[in-house]
Amino acid sequence: MFRLDADRPVEFCDGLKRRDFLHAGSLATLGLTLTDWFGLRALGATTNSDVNCILLMLIGGPSQLDTFDMKPNAPAEIRGPYKPIKTNVPGIEISENFPLTAKHADKFSIIRSAYHTAAAVHDTGHQMMQTGRLFQGGVEHPHMGCVLSKLKGPKGDVPAHVLLPRPIGNTGGNMPHGQNAGYLGKAYDPFVLNADPSDPNFRVPDMLPPDYLSALRVDRRRNWREMVDKSVSEFETSADARLLDSTFQQAYTLMSSQKARAAFELHREPEATREKYGMNRFGQSCLLARRLIEAGVRFVTVNMFETVFDEITWDIHGSKPFSPISCYRDLVGPMFDMAYSSLLSELAERGLLSNTMVMATGEFGRTPKINPAGGRDHWPQCWSLLMGGGPLKGGIVVGSSDEIAGAPKDRPVSPMQIAATVYRGLGMDLQTELPGGQGRPIPLVDRGTEPIRELF
Amino acid sequence: MHSKKATPCSEPRALASGCAVLIMLLVGSAKAQTLAVLPPSVELTGPEARQQLLVEGAAGEHQEDWTRGAEWVSSDPKIATVDAHGVVQPAGDGEARITARAKGQSATVTVRVRDSHAPFQWSFRNHVIPVMTKMGCNQGACHGALAGKNGFKLTLRGYDPQADYDTLTRQSVGRRVALAEPEASLILMKPSFAIPHGGGKRFAKDSLEYRIIREWIAAGAPPPTDKDAAITGLEAFPASAVLAPEAEQQIVVRARYSDGHTEDVTRWVKFSSTNEGVATVDDNGHVKMTGAGEAAITLYYSSRVLYSRLTVPFPNSVSTAAYEQFPRRNFIDGLAVAKWKSLHLAPSKVAGDAEFLRRAYLDAAGILPTSEEVESFLADQSADKRAKVVDRLLQRDEFVDYWAYKWSDLLLVSTRRLNSTAMWAFYDWIRDSVKQNKPWDQFAKEIFNGSGSTRQNGALNYFVLHKDPIDLTENATLAFTGQRIMCARCHNHPLEKWTQLQYYEMANLFARVGVKNGTMGDNIVFARATGDVLYPKLSRPLPPTPLDGKSMAIDSTADRRALFTEWLTSPTNTLFSRTVVNRVWANFMGRGLVDPVDDVRSANPSSNEELFSALTKDFVDHGYDVQRLIRLIMNSSVYQLSSEANGTNQADNMFYSKHIIRRLPAEVILDAMSQVTGSPTVFSGYPAGTRALQLPDTQVKSEFLASFGRPQRITCDAAERASDSTVAQALAVINGDTLNKKLSAPDGTIALFLKLGLSDRRILEFMYLSAFSRYPSEVERAALTGAMEKAKPEKGTEEARRDAHRQALEDMVWALLTSKEFLFDH
Repeated sequence: MFRLDADRPVEFCDGLKRRDFLHAGSLATLGLTLTDWFGLRALGATTNSDVNCILLMLIGGPSQLDTFDMKPNAPAEIRGPYKPIKTNVPGIEISENFPLTAKHADKFSIIRSAYHTAAAVHDTGHQMMQTGRLFQGGVEHPHMGCVLSKLKGPKGDVPAHVLLPRPIGNTGGNMPHGQNAGYLGKAYDPFVLNADPSDPNFRVPDMLPPDYLSALRVDRRRNWREMVDKSVSEFETSADARLLDSTFQQAYTLMSSQKARAAFELHREPEATREKYGMNRFGQSCLLARRLIEAGVRFVTVNMFETVFDEITWDIHGSKPFSPISCYRDLVGPMFDMAYSSLLSELAERGLLSNTMVMATGEFGRTPKINPAGGRDHWPQCWSLLMGGGPLKGGIVVGSSDEIAGAPKDRPVSPMQIAATVYRGLGMDLQTELPGGQGRPIPLVDRGTEPIRELF
Repeated sequence: MHSKKATPCSEPRALASGCAVLIMLLVGSAKAQTLAVLPPSVELTGPEARQQLLVEGAAGEHQEDWTRGAEWVSSDPKIATVDAHGVVQPAGDGEARITARAKGQSATVTVRVRDSHAPFQWSFRNHVIPVMTKMGCNQGACHGALAGKNGFKLTLRGYDPQADYDTLTRQSVGRRVALAEPEASLILMKPSFAIPHGGGKRFAKDSLEYRIIREWIAAGAPPPTDKDAAITGLEAFPASAVLAPEAEQQIVVRARYSDGHTEDVTRWVKFSSTNEGVATVDDNGHVKMTGAGEAAITLYYSSRVLYSRLTVPFPNSVSTAAYEQFPRRNFIDGLAVAKWKSLHLAPSKVAGDAEFLRRAYLDAAGILPTSEEVESFLADQSADKRAKVVDRLLQRDEFVDYWAYKWSDLLLVSTRRLNSTAMWAFYDWIRDSVKQNKPWDQFAKEIFNGSGSTRQNGALNYFVLHKDPIDLTENATLAFTGQRIMCARCHNHPLEKWTQLQYYEMANLFARVGVKNGTMGDNIVFARATGDVLYPKLSRPLPPTPLDGKSMAIDSTADRRALFTEWLTSPTNTLFSRTVVNRVWANFMGRGLVDPVDDVRSANPSSNEELFSALTKDFVDHGYDVQRLIRLIMNSSVYQLSSEANGTNQADNMFYSKHIIRRLPAEVILDAMSQVTGSPTVFSGYPAGTRALQLPDTQVKSEFLASFGRPQRITCDAAERASDSTVAQALAVINGDTLNKKLSAPDGTIALFLKLGLSDRRILEFMYLSAFSRYPSEVERAALTGAMEKAKPEKGTEEARRDAHRQALEDMVWALLTSKEFLFDH
């Protein structure tokens, strides 16, 4: 056979290799012509390239031992105060703090062997769980949603990537949290809500004109701006000036799009639905995430909390200004349980789960042994996270930890492998290179990083 | 010249073929052109030596690569042979002449051959490693990755030959290198795809690459030694050339070694183009010109970098008068003209007074001229009024604010890691330095030579921000010399000449900086007597040495920082002077002579090297006087060009033939909005009326500033300041409170004018003067007043009419303050 690829594979922009192209000729034996095959590809029959993602960032770092990796047979100071319960998948047990989630264990998988090796501070974990990489040497890597935004752009009138409700604030390390576009540039930063969707007067700041500005005036301003701009010609050759014009255009599209505006209008949801998610910031953010995905947003990141100080969070050191372990039963656990289970069940009911991945993770796990304050401290050596939806399988457990959930026993999973799994789930070629500045191309993940195969 | 119309052609392809015709005519006349062989002299040392020759024809102002069509003849094939492609190889010791004939011309080069029959063996360091580097074996994506690949790890681009040698010969029980049966070695079987290889086929069995590795193994795989000839430099042929559109050009690269011999290393060089829109280059160094302008082909070989500068003039015909008549106010202008001439760019017209005034205020002081200042400047008839404005601007407090802000960006002043007192001490020192016009070398000396309390000497907070020698090394070199050497922390810089050894020699200069708590909540910076940074490869310290500088004894107890400072601020250290000259130039011109502004590495060429060198020399010769540099730039005709393109320079965005348009910085936009609306921004913790550019600290909360790209001052990188326009920014000005509240402020300008009962016509004129620094044109006046008229309600109470009028004015001013003319420096 004539082989164009005798020397080395030639890559095409669509991820096909020349080798694949030629070998595709053999599809004919299956009764498919090449045209059919490409047609099928275009319809997404072979690779689903229009998968969305909702990332729930469980700020503070949930304790694996009190959530999804129970060790009922360990000594009391290890196993903690909570008991496991059965789920709707035989053999999978989770903490009694999540009775609602337990009914949907078929819709997500548990990875019990996540770990990272960077400093045990919140900020490093935030970086790695959202970008796949630790920030070093002044390089700020882009959030996965920003990468998606760069590579695929927005779908319809809504932004490609939305961050709810606000960016992560101070968590002690004073480092970037990996929630923006980094070296890709501000043009790919997420659209940040900057408001609390559970607020009775909730509205998206700056997305709609303030009360004191009538629609008529907004319209007039837009026309007058164009009139003023028209008389100056020197900007025509400037790419920067053209970019400015296009941002105004996009802003007006967003403002005037019925669909985009409606997506943010939580009051359109029945009261019962809103209550099901929990009438709190996180619950309503999860509901909003679902609405945004329905409206065409590709990636939604939800920060469950903004900080770990003076707020009840997953960060259960047991002493002030942090949280006590009991909050998993009294507040944080139920808050997550309601929102997460409602999100999964609603996505499934609406037929969205098959093309929407949902990932819920903290930035690290917590010390196997309960500390003198009755809490647990930071422990990046081992934790559990939840992934499902889209092309990812549900109802399985990947990896396991040792008898005290202190280290992965088998199948250790790194943050970059998790990023690889998300990118693969989104239908991307992992070798796609991003412009990393100084002429340094940076692949989505380091070469050789494998997605979690078990989930596909 | 024949009567070709002197109008610029908008159809490059048509023009390109026109040029080709022209060249053929010139070639035909035979007088205007010469032929030359490159390299101009050749030495072949050893039996394996070879040299690719080029033959270059000069046709008018173009040069052409005629190598492919040339006939090659050796005067003595027993000494040196030459093949049809122009490759010379040795046959016997002595001298021979190689002649190239092309298009009826001929040129000759002398070749000296030595050691043609001497025993020879391939060197691991100088041959095997370059083969593996070129074939990609040790690149970051393959075995050069930190973790290696499939259990086989090489050092990135072969920066550590000894380690690679050990890996190849000592690991994997001799399978990688099989001395007994070289062909069975994995390092031949895998890349030649005799057995499966994840990295695919890298070379063929009959290739030179295969032969070098096989013969090296067959010779017993000799290790690298200290006696190996060390590379001392590269030469590129041609080093620069002006080429015709769509021309092709082969680049030849020769390496020089410490024992005096040279080698043609073209085959192993990594080539890349700095501007793919002008030139593309393939793996073999074959260049194709793709568009008009200038591109550098960068050459990387064995931790050495160099570039060849290739130019294709823009397809314009520009009259010489355009250059002769260009007003030369200082040396900047003449050097810019020379560049435009070589590129066939005609400068735009000189900017009008209004355009100049606005630009000068924004660039020098970050403010807009007031309407009174605009009116009096426009009315001023004196010939030197622009120079006088420049002088006056440099005396203003806002000038000090602006440059203190700029250098605070550079030195990362903020309360992120400094307490409030320390932040103020640092800022006050910077502001005071700007106010005094402290020479730039003095500014750096006060940081790096200082000792004592950080409260008394605010500059010393630099050492509170950067505590460890690694951080100090990387920050000091980036901030003050525009070098990004962080790559060399772990391995030789893959794109630059800096080696890991140099990195740790440099880092050791900062090993003895002591910082301890003072008694007043301050810190005390002092020189410690002991302490070293270990070079990780050998786990021992290296003699402290600045980049390419002289070492000091490792046991000396002198303050090591003094050596760093001496090196840094030495007049011969042009990295230091070029870096700040480039920053200042970019501030006014919209783009550094080297871009990005803080990337002054040798492989990143300047868009006008002659101008850059002259500016740098002038700066050093005049005592590192920043204000003098600013005056020079602002008074040049180049700075005062219009941003409007003419028929020749639409595509120019780096040679300054027109002024470069850019969005204003976040702080300047906010301050300008405050200024025009008469409604200052309130910053929590700062007195009323504080402008954004007067804030010493970027931790001061402002969503508007953050959205428009204010840097956080975390990393010393000019790119930390974002100038991209985003949808969030558009939403912020359309719907956000910041601008809207300024427009409707009860004590703002609009409210005041309404109280005074000014006419719409007068108000709009004032707004044009204060926002755009110009009067509205008659067309604009008519359009705006017409729009205002139409907005008047037909009925309603007096009060309703007043409200409607006020709202219409607010809306009109909003349109001005969100327009491109307002948001851009132009």
